[in-house]
Amino acid sequence: MTKYFEMNVKSLLTNPYLIFWSILFIEFWILMWVFVFGNEIPPLEEAVRLYMASAYGNLLILSLSGACVTIGGSILYSSKSIRYVTKYTRLSPSRFLFENLVSSLVVLLIVCAVMLLSVIALFYSKFALFIVPVNPIGLAGSLLLSTLFIYALSLFLNLLIVTLKAPKSANFISFLPLIFGFVSYSALWIDFKAAVYVSPFNCITSICYFAASGEIPPAGNFFAPPNSQTLVDVNLALISLIAWTVVLIVVDVLLLRKMRGVGVEEIRTT
Amino acid sequence: MIASRGLHVSYRWRQEPVLKGVNGTFEGKHLILGPNGSGKTTFFRAICGLTNITSGEIVVDGENVENLYATIGVMSTNFHEVYGLLAANVYDLIVLYTDLVKGDPSLALEIIRDMGIEPDFLRKRKLNELSAGQQKIVCTALALAMKAKHVLLDEPFEQLDPAKKSRMIKHLTGYQGVILVNTHETWLLKNLQEWTVFFMFEGVLYGPLSVKELLRAEISLKDEPKALLKVKVSDKTVSILEGHGAGTLLTSLENLDKIYELAEDRA
Repeated sequence: MTKYFEMNVKSLLTNPYLIFWSILFIEFWILMWVFVFGNEIPPLEEAVRLYMASAYGNLLILSLSGACVTIGGSILYSSKSIRYVTKYTRLSPSRFLFENLVSSLVVLLIVCAVMLLSVIALFYSKFALFIVPVNPIGLAGSLLLSTLFIYALSLFLNLLIVTLKAPKSANFISFLPLIFGFVSYSALWIDFKAAVYVSPFNCITSICYFAASGEIPPAGNFFAPPNSQTLVDVNLALISLIAWTVVLIVVDVLLLRKMRGVGVEEIRTT
Repeated sequence: MIASRGLHVSYRWRQEPVLKGVNGTFEGKHLILGPNGSGKTTFFRAICGLTNITSGEIVVDGENVENLYATIGVMSTNFHEVYGLLAANVYDLIVLYTDLVKGDPSLALEIIRDMGIEPDFLRKRKLNELSAGQQKIVCTALALAMKAKHVLLDEPFEQLDPAKKSRMIKHLTGYQGVILVNTHETWLLKNLQEWTVFFMFEGVLYGPLSVKELLRAEISLKDEPKALLKVKVSDKTVSILEGHGAGTLLTSLENLDKIYELAEDRA
């Protein structure tokens, strides 16, 4: 690894947008889930476990979407530099992708861990029940895959802006993950049915819910009676998420070689 | 060696090209003189592979620049936008970029200190928080510290005071490698007598001429048959002639933007 790896980790972890949108803003919603919406949840371990898995799975999407916007922005604003360093330094396009990916995953996994610890601690303080994920290894794997997808998506969207020379669309396109995240969050009240498998965001919620609670997740309408919910095929959700991730990473590698970079002034003035 | 062959560059489809068939070979120390907006910076961007080439090619040591990836020690530049990989302080950026080419950060810091900026100051500032002159110093120092065989310096004297300009010239003349400096200032010719000069006007490259020839050269707004070089400026032919005391000395112009004023005055 070059110094780029550790400096990118440090740069992302001290990014005020990431700290606010992916950690502080989500902490607020965890508090809401626990102390406001959670008032109707009976203090029974099974009920709290399912509710906690719903909270974690759904809020995780908002947190990762926010991080996706931040990481994407850092790539967009440094696209000229990326072009230069991949041509004239040790960071070849594939090595840059690797170091950027690993450093971003480290940061995203730290965000996921902070959220998980907060959820466990706050649920304990409300219900006096110490609930940990049923399948911690499965959850770790799900989080790794989720963060990999989020990284690939943010890179794809921002390289698309650069390659298409569309800085005018930068604001809209770079915020798409957040929009997708909120659409996915609406599954709390809407049954997405088979559309779950098309939406990688809903697949993330489903596999994390499954690993955290050990129960088959619903395709939406989380607070409806269980017999009226459509259940997700977790394996299919996993395959869908892997497929999305692989396709995006392949496209990212191609775009990274093709893009010339876009100047910061072009983004700011259009 | 850098060779440009029939280089055309347009920023937008159906827009008039910024570079209109640039041909040239560069293997020593060269100045590219031209007024603002003549295409000098675009030419450097094309050489670095930072902009789309519409037609033609740039070849660096026999290799098309489009095919160069992860080639350490081949090219460096002082474009500030290439030093924005991370939102880190300037000191850390220097450490990062020199690490990426296995270079020595102390060389960059030595140049920067010589230009009147203390390294401690750089630990407290990001690149975009520096003044334009300080940015230019840092980026030029980084370009030189990367010890590349080819160094492209875009207006390295811009925003510098006269004392710093002359110190910067010392760093450039002492550099071992191919250097291309683009500028619209002609005052520096007398300090770079061993260099050769190309001119760029309206997207076309003219030359080369030696600096020694140019120091005596005069400008004529006629198509002179004995001209050392003829350039097209606003559809007029401007001749650069060996000096005989009758015309305007090229070095008497503070910068090449004045050629347009001169052409308008005599029209």
